[in-house]
Amino acid sequence: MSEPQIEFLRGTLDMLVLKVVALGPSHGYAIAQRLQQISKDFFQVHQGSLYPALHRLEDRGWLQAEWKESETGREAKFYSLTRKGRKQMEAEVHNWERLCDAVGLVLRAPEKEP
Amino acid sequence: MRWIDRVFRKSRDEKLLEKELRFHLEQHIAANVAAGMSLEEARRRANLEFGGLERVKEEVRDTRWETRLDTILRDFRYALRTLRKAPGFTAIAVLTLALGIGANTAIFSVVYAVLLKPLPYANSGQLFNVFQVKPQDGITGTGWSYLNFALLREQNTVFSEMAGAQKHQLTMTARGEPSVVNTSVVTPELFSLFGEKPLAGRIFFSEDGKPGAPPVVILGENLWRGSFGADPKIIGSSISLDKRPYTVIGIMPATFRFPLLTESEQVWIPLVQDPLFGSMIPRRAGHWLQVTGRLKPGVSMAQAQAELDAVGARLAKEFPAENTGWMIRMVPLQQMIVGNVKSALLVLLGAVGLVLLIACANIANLLLTRATSRAREIAVRMALGAGRNRIVRQLLCETAVLGLLGGVAGIFLAYWGVQGLSALLPQSLPLVNAIRVDNFVLGFALLLSAIASCAFGLAPALFAANSNLQTSLREGGGRSGESSTRLRTRSFLAAGEIALAMVLLVAAGLLLRSFAKLMSVSPGFDVQHIVKADVSLPRFQYSTPQQWTAFSDELLARIQAQPGLQDSAVAVPLPITDGRVNLAFDIVGNPVSSAGAARLADYVSVSPDYFRVMGIPLLTGRFFNQHDVMAAPRVSVISQAMARLYFPNQDPLGKRITFGFPPGGTGVEREIVGIVGDVRDVALSEAPGPMMYVPFAQAPFWGGAVIVKSTLSTSGVAAAIRHEVLQVDKDLPVTGVAELTGALDASLAEQRFRTFLLGLFAAMALILAAIGIFGVISYSVSRRTHEMGIRVALGASRGAILRMVLRETLLLTFAGLAIGIPCALAASRLVGHMLFGVSPHDLVTLTIVAVVLAAVATFAGYLPARRATRVDPLVALRYE
Repeated sequence: MSEPQIEFLRGTLDMLVLKVVALGPSHGYAIAQRLQQISKDFFQVHQGSLYPALHRLEDRGWLQAEWKESETGREAKFYSLTRKGRKQMEAEVHNWERLCDAVGLVLRAPEKEP
Repeated sequence: MRWIDRVFRKSRDEKLLEKELRFHLEQHIAANVAAGMSLEEARRRANLEFGGLERVKEEVRDTRWETRLDTILRDFRYALRTLRKAPGFTAIAVLTLALGIGANTAIFSVVYAVLLKPLPYANSGQLFNVFQVKPQDGITGTGWSYLNFALLREQNTVFSEMAGAQKHQLTMTARGEPSVVNTSVVTPELFSLFGEKPLAGRIFFSEDGKPGAPPVVILGENLWRGSFGADPKIIGSSISLDKRPYTVIGIMPATFRFPLLTESEQVWIPLVQDPLFGSMIPRRAGHWLQVTGRLKPGVSMAQAQAELDAVGARLAKEFPAENTGWMIRMVPLQQMIVGNVKSALLVLLGAVGLVLLIACANIANLLLTRATSRAREIAVRMALGAGRNRIVRQLLCETAVLGLLGGVAGIFLAYWGVQGLSALLPQSLPLVNAIRVDNFVLGFALLLSAIASCAFGLAPALFAANSNLQTSLREGGGRSGESSTRLRTRSFLAAGEIALAMVLLVAAGLLLRSFAKLMSVSPGFDVQHIVKADVSLPRFQYSTPQQWTAFSDELLARIQAQPGLQDSAVAVPLPITDGRVNLAFDIVGNPVSSAGAARLADYVSVSPDYFRVMGIPLLTGRFFNQHDVMAAPRVSVISQAMARLYFPNQDPLGKRITFGFPPGGTGVEREIVGIVGDVRDVALSEAPGPMMYVPFAQAPFWGGAVIVKSTLSTSGVAAAIRHEVLQVDKDLPVTGVAELTGALDASLAEQRFRTFLLGLFAAMALILAAIGIFGVISYSVSRRTHEMGIRVALGASRGAILRMVLRETLLLTFAGLAIGIPCALAASRLVGHMLFGVSPHDLVTLTIVAVVLAAVATFAGYLPARRATRVDPLVALRYE
């Protein structure tokens, strides 16, 4: 909890959420938990960002939601990826990788000896 | 029901959001507990981290709105951009829609003001007109005698208040020039009946209605402002009506008008004080008082009618001579006032609705054409992942923008149209001054444009979204992607337009033919070069019949002495312009069989030269002459229709008739000395009824119409009449100066109005339908450019191509006519009652309309067909 809260760009959060949901349908709490686990506690998504993102993605038709019984026996809203959502995610991941490669290339460029 | 659904869904959305977030919170708490915290601590930490349920909810709501607003705005921006890129299409669609909406809104503003808006009286739904009918004589609705009214008012228990009214004109001499004022002659209860308060002073009390009460008058606000400079001290002062002083006791606001709903300057006087109707109070016979009653709250119309039946039976039993066969009926005041214009207005509204329908069909056709040429664009968008809904929404957005533009333009047209209509409306139309484009009418226009956008937008949008992705993409360009269903839809729309246009054209054609017949019907008298003017004598100064005769003799002598004005006469009433005086009469030696089965004829009092000046032919016997004066034996001249009706197979000459008019002359025997030609005295559209004429000298009146046949100018004749009248009495106003042709024309104002409007709508329909055909055929031609190129290359002649395209046009046209003719036949029955001398199933009209439509449609199809013949096979084949 002592680590700095990371505010990341909306688009990045959307991409990460899509990716997590792509691993399997899950509800909001589980998405936040998984994001935290997979990133080794790097990303701690605040509910005030997560839920708007989920609803935005749903409105755009990238996610679809369904009310189902959760592991605890309670009804929860499960999000899953649509075909359109998968395309969107793939496009964003592709862009992200290109961005990282490009940034990496620039950063790894050998510095000239003085 | 849509909005209810939305409200519920919204609250459901909210509940689900709450549930979702709560689930999250509880999971979090459970996780904290599992990690070893106490329940309280777990809850506290979870809440802290969560950061407030409401705040999260708020943020979710915000994003939801943002995305939705964003898509809508994007759709609108896109729609505007695409419309701007096709200015021709946009202009035609907006203009077509504006015409439809504008015409509908204008007509609706009239319908709303006249038919729908409640009358401008308090609780106007309780107000009823109560009248008498006599079914056995075909008398459908007349007023009351004062005595019968008084008995009804006293004996019924269903009306909380009843009042009687009549109207005529009196000469007012107060300040400045003598003038004629519209006078409502009323029983004192009138103002309390309507619940109206005066602007100043008081209303009538029942004492004002008693015989011997001092004469009092209430002024209308407009008259008070116009003629008295809004003098606040007018109350208590005296004005003179027909040379008799009346004390002004009150001023009514301009908003109150009764019974003259369209007149703005008027006065009210108690019935008992009126020189004309006051004298009729003691007589039980007669039907002249218009009675209005306010139904008590909670009393049904059926209850009231039952009570009226009982009163009617009592009247017939107690006073059989005057009341046998008469019954009492009631009708809502509004219905009574608008009665005869209702059906005409509804027909116009229906007609203009059809125009809008045609306009919508046209725009739908245009949109289909566009959707087809945009099939590729749409296919690309869909391939890129746009959902079907999204495409439909975006296309609907485009039509909504079109609809909005058309609606706004239409409202402007309506403002302009209402002004034009007001100038055109016949003054006899009730409530004409209430017609305006107000909020309600504006709401109607907006609703109409919304409905219209849905009507013309939905089909093309669905079609576009359903188009086959593969074919659209494969076939390039803007020409293809047309499925045969879509062509069928377009053809159906075009044929439907023709059918609708046919309905309108037939209705308009029938009215036009009927109007032409009406214009050419002979009224039975000459109208050319005849000028009329009304003179009314104040009865308190000219109180005896001798004075009336003396006045008319002197005036006629003076006018006839003028060069060019020899052909002049006096008559009361004048046919068509003055209405009729329908009187019962008896034939001496041949009494009517039973009480109440009276013989009736229209009564006219004329000076000897009347027949000659009016060109009414003498059929047998003689006209009146200078010797038919009061001292000589009484005589009468009857019309041919009267001779046929009441003297079948007899010679009426020498027979004697009696009738009870004017008052005092009751029972005098008049010998029939001549028979003259028939005259349409009520209206041009009404067949001439029985008429009897008496010499003015033997049946004088305190006023009448002076008619002069002269080749001089109307203004010259009018000035001469005015001059001579003032020579006889400097206080007499001359009113109603008009050429008889103009007066006759004015009597047709209502017919002219509806014929003109229906004709206008039919013309609009014809043009729109022609555009529709043109659109479909040109589209079909451009789509088949390739095919035609091949045909030409294979040796088809230009004539063959032309024939091929024209055949398509004719097929559409005949399909339209086949649907249109039965519809037109059914619809023309609706205008049947407005027709004169034309059957609603008039074959000539039907044929002409069908031929005109076919010709116009063929021409509309010929233009693209000619283009098709010019197809260069090389270009056509290379093209794509």
